[in-house]
Amino acid sequence: MIVSDVVCPFCGCLCDDLELEVEGDRVVRVQNGCSLAEATFMNDTRLPTPIRRTKTGWEDISYDEAIKETADILKEADRPLLYGWSSTHGEAQSVGVHIAELIGAVIDNTSTVCHGPSILAIQEVGHPGCTLGQVKNRADVIIYWGCNPIEAHPRHMSRYTTFATGFFVPEAQRERTVIVVDTRRNDTTNIADEFLQVEPGGDYAVLSALRAIVRGKESVIPKKVAGIAKEQLIRVAGICKNAKFGAIFFGLGLTMSRGKYKNVRNAIELTDELNRHTKFVISPMRGHGNVYGSNEVFTWMTGYPFAVDFARGIAFYNPGETTAVDILRRGECDAALIVASDPGANFPRLAAAHLAKIPTVIIDPHVNATTALSRIHIPCTAAGIDAAGTAYRMDGVPIRLKKVIERGYPDDAELLKKIYDRLNGGGWDHD
Amino acid sequence: MRVILESKVRSKPNLPIEAEAIIPRNFLKGTDLVVFEGNKERTLSELFWIFVEGTAVSPENIEVVLKGDTSRIKRVGEYMDTGNIVIEGDIGMHCGNFMSGGTIEILGNADSWLGREMRGGTILCRGNAGHYCATGYRGEKKGMQGGKVEVFGNAGDFCAEYLAGGEVHIHGSTGDFPGVEMRGGQLTIEGDATRPCANMKEGSCVILGTVHDMIPTFEKIDKRVLPEWKITADVYKGDVANRGKGTLMIKNPGAV
Repeated sequence: MIVSDVVCPFCGCLCDDLELEVEGDRVVRVQNGCSLAEATFMNDTRLPTPIRRTKTGWEDISYDEAIKETADILKEADRPLLYGWSSTHGEAQSVGVHIAELIGAVIDNTSTVCHGPSILAIQEVGHPGCTLGQVKNRADVIIYWGCNPIEAHPRHMSRYTTFATGFFVPEAQRERTVIVVDTRRNDTTNIADEFLQVEPGGDYAVLSALRAIVRGKESVIPKKVAGIAKEQLIRVAGICKNAKFGAIFFGLGLTMSRGKYKNVRNAIELTDELNRHTKFVISPMRGHGNVYGSNEVFTWMTGYPFAVDFARGIAFYNPGETTAVDILRRGECDAALIVASDPGANFPRLAAAHLAKIPTVIIDPHVNATTALSRIHIPCTAAGIDAAGTAYRMDGVPIRLKKVIERGYPDDAELLKKIYDRLNGGGWDHD
Repeated sequence: MRVILESKVRSKPNLPIEAEAIIPRNFLKGTDLVVFEGNKERTLSELFWIFVEGTAVSPENIEVVLKGDTSRIKRVGEYMDTGNIVIEGDIGMHCGNFMSGGTIEILGNADSWLGREMRGGTILCRGNAGHYCATGYRGEKKGMQGGKVEVFGNAGDFCAEYLAGGEVHIHGSTGDFPGVEMRGGQLTIEGDATRPCANMKEGSCVILGTVHDMIPTFEKIDKRVLPEWKITADVYKGDVANRGKGTLMIKNPGAV
């Protein structure tokens, strides 16, 4: 059977034009997708049943048993942590927030190790952004800063920027100027019209210098800024000022290098400065398929996009204090529930090590590095493959994920509702 | 009156305690106060041995002394307006939040957000301070607005971020971005600093040690003798990227 207009749930691009060939409970062919999409749909090896750690290995347990034990662990905790959420749909994320409020937990999503700093910067100076459709149809100058879309978001360039034919940019490849800023050469820098090779940790200085040049204060700038010649900076500032519509996309090279949110803030303020001359926008290249959705869901329910601490019964937010990595690093939390993510593979060693010391439960369709640190692993559906739900694209556009096959697993939202019921003494009352 | 709070041994010593109730004024009516340990509400006597010496009729005559392991106790001195707090060891985050008067003295180290959004009064930290010493809250346009924070050791990153008024004096060195987004006030760093005063708008900063990775958008305008430090410093105006009118005085600008 052929299923068309399928949404790929893997990365923040949420490409919605895939065509899948389905045989029973298997996807056998992926059309239009990138290699990441192909692997997402075709190499989908699941954990068959819930498992619990024993002294010597693992034992299979029933879903009811797993849910009961998870609820007991969370109920007894003085500082439980609910982390992850970014690879599942908004429906499951919202149940997670309700659990956090009920038991006085800290709830955090994967923004904490990716674009959390972007959010901090946006909270300081705002977000001059737009949808990817606008970029596709209007942008004639594209800047990729600290990201490598060819490898991390393979269809970003062909669907929205460099290679995409737009209404006002009919001859994309000829009409669009691509500027790439990175610390080293990679596949994306190879197709750039202008490549700024910045010294590691020098992004902030380069952004400050560009802002000053755009303001006409180039006399202040030294001959070289973080490895980039002043002449090149002046040339790039000129390209930006003469653009009809410019779009900056930035990745973890900006958010997770020295200076973190101050880098992003500086990039936003450069965008602001450029808007005195032409139209310019800036957007983060979000990683997980629905990480933007977890920010949306958390914000409309708690007022804050990530790192929300319900210990006092009300929502408190302070990254650095209430973020998952910091709570784990300080050894604060005494139980953890991980949903749809893999902190075991992505967290600093000290933080991951604490997960192994406390009772940790993971709800995720696949076995991953966090399984090795956990006490219980409960398998569930994968949003966008065998479960439908809402996800948000990297530009904030909500897209309905489709259910393309049935594999007999329970939806993670249903599992979480059952956990909530046990903690609440029965009765899910939030639908 | 002296109130001595000695922390009891806890089964989970890493759990944070939120104790904004610990300010001198609250002890006028007794010691029956509530604090939070993790997500559980506790009475002060569940977590501390409490000793009260003497009596007081007004809060400015009250001194609160914290002893024992106090490194995980947050928000001590929050909204304090008068009196004295002495912490004999280390103190947790947010010590002296929104403080408007009185004195806090920390004999050990202070964790992050020491004197956050402070309005007045004095904080003396004899050891080191963590990140965001004398700053504001996330997304807030003004950090510390008045009073004095003096750290005798080093301070972490983002020290005096969004400083808008008052005085911050670090005897040691600071980490990355001291005085970033400064709006006013006076910042003095006797040791070294990295990328000071980035994006500053107003206020003044003096650095006596070596500056690493100077932000390229500061305009050198002058040399000035600073008699109180007996040095001649380079005077910069900036941050030019920001139409800033701040003053940055540096004895040793280091390598660019």
